[in-house]
Amino acid sequence: MSQPVIVAENLRKEFGRVVALRGVSFQVEAGAFFTIFGRNGAGKSTLLSIISGMASATDGNIRVFGEDPAERTHRHKLSVISHESFLYDNLTALENLSFYGKLYQVADLNDRMHDVLHQVGLHHRRFDLVRTFSRGMVQRLTIARAILHNPDLFLLDEPFTGLDQHATEMLIGLMEALKSQGKTILLTTHDLQIGLRLSSRFMILERQRVVETGSVEGLTEEMLRRKYFSLISSGEAGQ
Amino acid sequence: MSVIWAIIRKDFQMEFRTKESITAMWIFSLLIFVIFNFTFEISRLLLLQISGGLLWVAFIFSGMLGLNRSFQVEKENGNLRGLSLTPADPGLIYFGKFLSTTFFMLIFEALIFPLFIIFYDIQLSLVTLWIIPISILGTLGFTSLGTILSAVAIHTKQQQILLSLLLWPLITPIIIWAVKTTGDVLSGELSAAFQPVMVRMLVFDVIFTTISYLLFEYVVQE
Repeated sequence: MSQPVIVAENLRKEFGRVVALRGVSFQVEAGAFFTIFGRNGAGKSTLLSIISGMASATDGNIRVFGEDPAERTHRHKLSVISHESFLYDNLTALENLSFYGKLYQVADLNDRMHDVLHQVGLHHRRFDLVRTFSRGMVQRLTIARAILHNPDLFLLDEPFTGLDQHATEMLIGLMEALKSQGKTILLTTHDLQIGLRLSSRFMILERQRVVETGSVEGLTEEMLRRKYFSLISSGEAGQ
Repeated sequence: MSVIWAIIRKDFQMEFRTKESITAMWIFSLLIFVIFNFTFEISRLLLLQISGGLLWVAFIFSGMLGLNRSFQVEKENGNLRGLSLTPADPGLIYFGKFLSTTFFMLIFEALIFPLFIIFYDIQLSLVTLWIIPISILGTLGFTSLGTILSAVAIHTKQQQILLSLLLWPLITPIIIWAVKTTGDVLSGELSAAFQPVMVRMLVFDVIFTTISYLLFEYVVQE
């Protein structure tokens, strides 16, 4: 049994009178591809913010690599990819990677930058400004930025937002490559098809609570779809 | 130090590529100088009395444009969040942004000051050299607070309005001191209060830079 990379126990998050998470508990083992499904406002992004250390839980316990994420000690081991690229439009692809590489203190940065640009198929555009890139190319460069420091844990917050079919397939291919390298990946999405295709385990968040968790083994898209919508419907009925 | 240097280098790379801030700051300052020079018929004595204020109006209002732009680029693609997610100490990120804005403003001030001298026919003497430490101390006070308050305002929709509302009351003392000492220097005679005011400016800078450095981590938290 592999060690859990993320352990969350009874997490609660409040923003003033708004409750964003209500007693969320789960754990993610090393090397797992774990997907969190849920509608907008279900609490997925808040959960990822807590795991990354960008926000703190109002109540409950969270451990990432055995430590409190707010301590920042695990930051070099994780990477966040979201619909926001964290890239600077008026820097070239190479300048963006160089900047983040210095912040992460990446060893052999020059070689590593060229290596990751080859991996995402953007080496030929390395001297071009990011503002000249298409949305798909920006997302590929975002992946390059995210894998630059060779992290062990990836937090992917709705990374497919705004991508066309081609860019989505390329991003899926890159995720599968990371999965085969044994990286731990936590994905949030409302796309059941993609989530099911990539994951080993899943969790459904509805109305800021965990309503289902389990393995995807033997689960078809249709079964997951029926389960997902019945849980959402019962959540709505309980409102 | 590499984190601070990386942020400064990145900010300067982007600014010299787009020239967005510097162009706006130049136009704004020139406009101020031209309007005051040609609109008001004022005596030389009165001019010397108000020249310190005039110069700092140009410095600070142009500085606001630079400050807004400096943090706008950190907002566009969630970059401030990206910076905060790195292992870099938030205090070092603060110093990187603070120093890049400071250097940028000081370079701008060094370029605009000769224009001011020409427009208002200011007589130069050795005393005029005091403008250098005054500019440095005044600018440090402005950017130390401006940097952290920009990071606060970045999370809001009315970023520029909020920044102005938060910043102006806090920087008022150092702006008053900077205007007063600049007035002394441009008139060619240092008053008895000159040195104590310079010490106050230094103390102001140290206090607010330290507080901002310590608080920056909490400001960038979600």
